[in-house]
Amino acid sequence: MRLLIAKYRHVFSVGLQSNIVYRWNFAMRAAFSLIHLAFVFILWRAAYQGETTIGGFSLEQTLTYFVTLLVLQFFIGAFSEDYEISEEIRSGLINQFLTKPINYFVYRFTIFVAARLVSGLLALIPLLLALPLIGEFITFPDEVWRLVLGLPAAFMSALIQFTIAYIFGMLTFWFLEIQSFVILSMTIETLLGGQIFPLDLLPATIYRISQFLPYYYQMYFPAAIFTGRIDYASAQQGLVIQAFWVVALLGIAQLLWRRGLREHTAVGG
Amino acid sequence: MASRFTRTHRGGWIVLDLGFSQFLVLQYLKIWLASIRYSLVRSMMFRGDFIMWSLVEFFWMGVNVAAIAVIYQHTDSIAGWSQYEMLLLVGTSMLIQRLLMGFFWSNLFEMGRNIRTGNFDFFLAQPGNPLFMVSTRKIDLDSLLNVSVALAIVLFSASKLELSPSLADLSIYVVFVGCGLVSSYAIVLLLASVSFWTIGTKGVEGGYFTLYEFSRLPKQAFSGVANVIFVWILPTVVISNAPARALISGFSLPDTAWILGSTLTWLTLGISVFRRGIRRYSSASS
Repeated sequence: MRLLIAKYRHVFSVGLQSNIVYRWNFAMRAAFSLIHLAFVFILWRAAYQGETTIGGFSLEQTLTYFVTLLVLQFFIGAFSEDYEISEEIRSGLINQFLTKPINYFVYRFTIFVAARLVSGLLALIPLLLALPLIGEFITFPDEVWRLVLGLPAAFMSALIQFTIAYIFGMLTFWFLEIQSFVILSMTIETLLGGQIFPLDLLPATIYRISQFLPYYYQMYFPAAIFTGRIDYASAQQGLVIQAFWVVALLGIAQLLWRRGLREHTAVGG
Repeated sequence: MASRFTRTHRGGWIVLDLGFSQFLVLQYLKIWLASIRYSLVRSMMFRGDFIMWSLVEFFWMGVNVAAIAVIYQHTDSIAGWSQYEMLLLVGTSMLIQRLLMGFFWSNLFEMGRNIRTGNFDFFLAQPGNPLFMVSTRKIDLDSLLNVSVALAIVLFSASKLELSPSLADLSIYVVFVGCGLVSSYAIVLLLASVSFWTIGTKGVEGGYFTLYEFSRLPKQAFSGVANVIFVWILPTVVISNAPARALISGFSLPDTAWILGSTLTWLTLGISVFRRGIRRYSSASS
């Protein structure tokens, strides 16, 4: 066990170092996200003109939701993991993992965790700089259970995000190009993951259906717990469904990996 | 009749005798048509890709329409714009973006990459205006297909608003959308031209998408610093608001002056930065 931890600790440290190299890319991405946040602020402020609440939430609560979403995105969102995995399969780099006692999923996930740690912390810098401007709109509920349930929810969201990206990467075993699949799925994620509007604003039936889809648990769910958009009972129920999706997606990922390797031909050179 | 050409500092040809300008336009049109034919053949070769990318764009537009539908379930107006006025604005913004994506985006995006790799030499070696050759190398059929979807959204909103614009109003709308296309082109050209100076700016062109988001917002929603930046300095808001307003409430002199002035300014800026960049360009060695 100790050996196992030591092995992936090295992977983590390499992941950390290689991602610090891309610090300017992350910083630029965070800066673009701030411009997007400006768009969100302008849109929702205009929508709240003449309304004190929308869907039962104040302007401050809604804006806090979007700020939380932004932070979560940099800490738990999958960025380009799908393309990286795809590239490793296409170029034959995965061959080296087939002959070593390393689990490819755990290896990639460890790098993902290291990468998100770097991008998450870097994204906080521009956000803190913008705090004097947006601070007056930030309001969090003070119930402790929101942290207790929100943190595991966020961790499972990270697992779901990564595993979906991993699954798309696996498609490379069968398809030459995965970009269009990824972007097509991204549109659905953007909408049903709550990035355009908080999902609770959807008509009740559609909102109920969305709670059974994995997209709900990619980003909206932890953000909604932290920002007070769902109550204790819904959060508990959500954690159960989220755990189901984690297991289901991990199963699909493992299945695709096994099947994919059967398709895979490693050519030595 | 022999045409009299003179060569510009780098590869570009201009005609000295104005009488031959028509001849030159025809020549360039022929080149563009050849590029279009090439793109058509290419799209048909990769049909699966074409269908997937058309779907991707279609879905993105769906996301924007859904956003409006959901927000207006909870409010009656956004900065004084009703649901279908807002849909008309978003449809117009999409229309301009689809046109940009269809005609110019890939070309300009690849220009940035080519400058970094040195492949830009290829365009300078061609016997034509470098900016024209760079901008018209190919078209994206999937985006152009989705132009019809954006148009359908505009028409649907117009019918919901019971608008009956005159032929003049419609012409103004078309001209303003054209201005929007030219302004967007100029902005992306500017962003891509940054590559002439810095090699580490990979992906700055993507900043266009972040800026373009603001074109889906009504002018009245902006205040303070955001108003100065997005409404007055950058052309992002005027390019969608002016045509949508023209369709909803008819001709407005201030809007016309504003959009024409802004388009001209940005195009001049874009072209002059590109030209300066070319002068600075020294290829890249392998």
